[in-house]
Formats: sequence, structure tokens, C-alpha cells
Amino acid sequence: MLRRTLNSNWFYILLCGFLILLPHLIGWLTGDSPLGVRGRPVGQSIYWQGIFIEVFILAVLAMSYNLIFGFTGVISFGHALFFGIGGYILGLSLEYTDMTAETGLLVGIVITLIVSTLLGLGIGLVSLRLKGVYFAMFTLAVAEMFFIFFGRFALTRAEDGFSLTELPEWIDPTRNRLVFYYIAMTLFVLTFMFIRRLIFSPTGAVLLAIRENEDRAKTIGFNTLAFKLLAITLAGVIASLAGILQVIFNKKVGPELLNVSYTIDPLLMTIIGGTGTLTGPIVGAAGLHLSDRLLRDLVVTVGDTSIDIGANWTLILGIIFIVVVLIFPYGIVGTVNRWRAKRRA
Amino acid sequence: MRPNALIAGLIAIGLLVFGFLTTPDLGSFGITVMSGLFQGMLLFLVASGLSIVFGLMDVLNFAQGSYFMVGAYVSYAIHHDPSVTAAIPNADLRFIIAVLSATVIGAILGVFLERVLLRPLYSRPIFQIVLTFGVAIVMTEAVKFVWSTTPYSWTSLFTLREGFFELFGQRFAVYRLFVIAIGFILIIAIGLLLQRTRIGIIIRAGVEDREMVEALGINVRLVFTLVFTMGCAVAAFGGAIAAPFLGASIGLANAFLLSAIAVVVLGGLGSYGGTAIGSLLVGLAVAVVANFASSPSIGLPVLSSMTPMLLMILVLLVRPSGLFGKGG
Repeated sequence: MLRRTLNSNWFYILLCGFLILLPHLIGWLTGDSPLGVRGRPVGQSIYWQGIFIEVFILAVLAMSYNLIFGFTGVISFGHALFFGIGGYILGLSLEYTDMTAETGLLVGIVITLIVSTLLGLGIGLVSLRLKGVYFAMFTLAVAEMFFIFFGRFALTRAEDGFSLTELPEWIDPTRNRLVFYYIAMTLFVLTFMFIRRLIFSPTGAVLLAIRENEDRAKTIGFNTLAFKLLAITLAGVIASLAGILQVIFNKKVGPELLNVSYTIDPLLMTIIGGTGTLTGPIVGAAGLHLSDRLLRDLVVTVGDTSIDIGANWTLILGIIFIVVVLIFPYGIVGTVNRWRAKRRA
Repeated sequence: MRPNALIAGLIAIGLLVFGFLTTPDLGSFGITVMSGLFQGMLLFLVASGLSIVFGLMDVLNFAQGSYFMVGAYVSYAIHHDPSVTAAIPNADLRFIIAVLSATVIGAILGVFLERVLLRPLYSRPIFQIVLTFGVAIVMTEAVKFVWSTTPYSWTSLFTLREGFFELFGQRFAVYRLFVIAIGFILIIAIGLLLQRTRIGIIIRAGVEDREMVEALGINVRLVFTLVFTMGCAVAAFGGAIAAPFLGASIGLANAFLLSAIAVVVLGGLGSYGGTAIGSLLVGLAVAVVANFASSPSIGLPVLSSMTPMLLMILVLLVRPSGLFGKGG
């Protein structure tokens, strides 16, 4: 039993161990303690922990997007809505109530879970009967409506947003970043395990069947609407948790959380990593975010013209995206999987 | 009278009555209606391409708003460029040239998008949507690269843009009237093209049943390219004639795409008449609500930018396939 578990999961267990040791590894490599230098949260270790926290958050968001886009075959352009709503609810419960920081955090998380579930069910019920593009348009419209609303809503300081000041100290990423690193990592690992478990369950099989041929799945007797509803609600809840982490990490709540870029980013990461694969979104999130960070200050000079890579990063990303969609449709992981399957055959 | 036309008429009358009741006098009511029609006509120029292309090719072009934006930038740039101004001192002529060049550039970009990028993907429809989404990002970023992120407002005047006339004690801009007139002409012209010409008949037949048209020996791919290009050119033309009033900014792409989506969905995807009527309804609704919501007693200017979506959701709840869409 144990041996079988180890045999099929050795790679993931090793990866998990690597992620647990990573802050210490970085600390050893750079010479800066993972807890910060001289009791203050500065230094290379802290910087790299921050980057990996962002990778975890984006990977969770991308995995949740992959659940609906990659595994269920439903295309939503409103994923940012869930991400932003999670952030806003947590921010509101911490800053706009008289609760202590700890209760505020707990209440915020519980309310986020409830609201994102209801929102997922609500949007799903109204719009999942719409097929393909109709659904994409509807979700885009709803998400943009929230974006416009929070961009002008006076209570949450409209476009400026507000910053978090009442965080409990133990989770505060500027004071105890290592703790927050492990929290983000835990959510990341749990999300991965959950989605893996779901996809290999009978429910997951129905989701894949809907992606392949919804009419046929319906003919066999499955209530495809209920399964799609389940997928979009689960994805929404996971995305809202990612939003909570994002807000705690940046200690700032603002309408940019609802911006369409938080729909585009997971979409890009999923497609570049590999649509409908388990590890694709993670590869995409890590690859894109790390290259964004590493190339941010790079200026390439060709002849007389110098191109600032960092300033035009989105443009380059968009072009990569189009190229991948056109000639590399299975993404990195998908292509590798196909290549391996072909070699085995 | 068909029930869908009745619903559309009721919405229009309701909006007009509401607008009349919430404006203090006839003059400001006139201004509201005129700005609504102006907005509606511009929306039509974006939405018509979106709707016809979707009906014919099942491609929802999320980059349609970006063509509008590019049109606005090109027209602004040509009209304000010092060397062009030196070559063509006549501002009116320069405006015509600016609008024509914007339309041509829109058409060229449209051919490129259809021929090079979309064509390989006809077997994978979901990736087409994703691709047009990517193209929209690239176009926005390319515009930022060329013209920076600062919004431009139109400063170089020409005859049409300067003119005003007085009615009910209010000053009306002639230019708005000009855009409304152009919009009406285009609605009728495109309608005639679809109804009376051979190519129009092929397009309408393609919307009904694409395989059957192909079986009759017509090169549908060529028709696809033509329709897609025309849709993009019309959107760029819309941006070009909107620029003297709205200026050129990045935000145009998203604003017009989202409103156009609302128009197309509430009018019924693939229905030309639905798109035309939907555009006017949404334009009117935005103007009426903007006037109402920005009055000091209400103070909710955010409401007007949410109006297209709210109207769309409202119509979808009553008629799930839009006002003039097929099926129930």
C-alpha cells in the first residue's frame, strides 16, 4: 500500500520536500538568513521568498482556471471577479469592522467562502445554459461590471483602494514572511492534491466527458448542468482563496484585483503550461512569473535601437501567447506528455 | 406586430419618457437624446461587425474594440501630425484623409487577423476566442508602445467640428448630427447590401447554413475574409470619426467592446436588425442614465458605465436568446 503510494507519487513528494526546504536553500546560497537580516525583514532570502509566494498565488489561480477551462471545457472571461471578491471581503472584514485582527481574518475567510460559493452558483445558474461564447461574454460582462463598480465605490476608496493595517502579526508577510511562505505553499499543495483527486474521481470523469462532448454526456444521462455548476463554483472558491492571499501579501485592496488581467494571466499560464494537464498551470505560472521578474530590468540593444524588455513585457507576452495558441496548442506539459506517449508506443 | 419588436419599442418609449421626466427642459432633453443617438451610432459601427462575423463564422472577435481604438489613434495622429499639416493645410481635407487611412489600416489589420491567425484555427473554435483575446492585448500594448499611455484629446479644429446650432435655448454640436447621419446611412447601406446584393444573399445564406452554401460551390472562405475585413474596417472607421469628440485613449477598446457585446447579445447574435436596434437602445439608455445619475441629487455617475451590462442582463432574463435572436 505504502509502496504503491510512493511509486506513483514519488515525484510530487520530492517536489513538496524541495519547496519546504527552498527558503533555507536560498538562505544558504545567498548567505542571508531566511528570517531576515539582523531581525529585520530584508535581504535576498526575503526577496526570493516573496517571488515564490507570488508564484504560489498565481499557480493556485491558474489551477482553478484550468479546472473549468482545461478539464470541463467551459471558457470563462470573468475569473478575476472571484479573485477580487475574495480580496475585497477580507479587506472589508479586517478594516471596516471592530473585530480584533484574528476574528476579522477568520470571519473574512468564512464570508469569502460563502459569498464565492453563492456567486459561482448564481452566475452559473443564470448563464451556464448559454453555450460557449455566450458564457464567455456573460462572465466578462459581469466581471467588468464589478470592476467598474469598485473602481468608483466611495466606501472602499474607489480607484485608490485601501491598505491593510490590522493584520495579525504572525501572518503579516512583512514581519513573518517565512510563515506566510508556508501558508501560501500549503494552499498551493492542497489545491493541487484536491484537483488531482477530483479529476481521477468519477465526478472528474464526467467533467472530462463534458469537455469532449457535452451532448453525448447528456445523452448518457448525466445532468451536465449540475456538473458544470460544480466545476465553476469550485474554481471560483479556489480563486477567491488565492485573492485572499494576494491581499494579505500586498497588504492592499483595490479595484486592480478585479481587473481583466487576473483573468488573462491564468488563461495565459494555463495555455502556455498545457491546457487540461495537472502540472501545466503550475509550469506556466512559475515560468511566466519568474521570467517576468528576471527580465524586468533587461534592455536588449540590437544595432541602434534598444528595446526595454521590462516595459514591453505584456506586449512580448501577448505575442508569445498568440504563437503558442497557433503552433504549440498543447502547451509545454502537453507537448512533453505527447512526446513521451509516442516514445512509449 | 411581433412580440420582440413590441419589447424593443416599449424599452425605447420607456427610456424616452424616463429621460423626459428627469431632464428640466426640452433643450436638455434634446441634448440627452442626441448624445444617446451619437453613442448608439458609434456602438453600431463596432457591434455590426461583431454580430455578422459571429453569425457567419462562429467567431466572436474580442479584438473588435481594439480596431475602434486603433482607428481613433490613426485618425488623431494623422490630423495632428505637423508634417501632414504642412503638406495638407486644409483641415477638412486632412480629416477626410485621416478617416480614410484609419479605415484602410483597419481593413489591412483585419485581413491579417483572419488570413494569418484565425484561419489555422477553424477546427478548434475555443482557441479562436482565446486568440482574438490575445490579439486584443497585443493591439493595446502596441498602441501603448507607439503612442504611449497618455490619452489624447482632439485639439485641431475643422469646419464640421466647430459648428453649433441653437434649439430650445441650447447649443447643439453639428458634429454629433453628422455622426448620427453617417450612422443612419451605414445602417441602411449595410442592410441593403445584405438584402439586395448577391454577396449579401451569400452572407445571409452562410449564417443560416454554412455547409449548404459550400455544397453549392461557393468559396465560403473567401466570403469569411471579406466579411471579417469589412467588420474591422467599419470598426476602425467608427473610431476615426469618434476621435474628434472622444479623443484617442486605451480605454476606448474595452469600453466599446463591452458595450458592443451587450448590444449584440441583447439584440440577438447574428441578427442584423437586432444589432441596429440594440445599438440605438443601448446608446439611448446610457445617455438617459448618465444624465439622471450624474444629477447632484442622485450622484451615482458609476451607474451609466454599468448600463449596457444591466440592460443586457435584463433582456436576457426575459428573452434568453436576445430580442431578435433565433430560438427561445
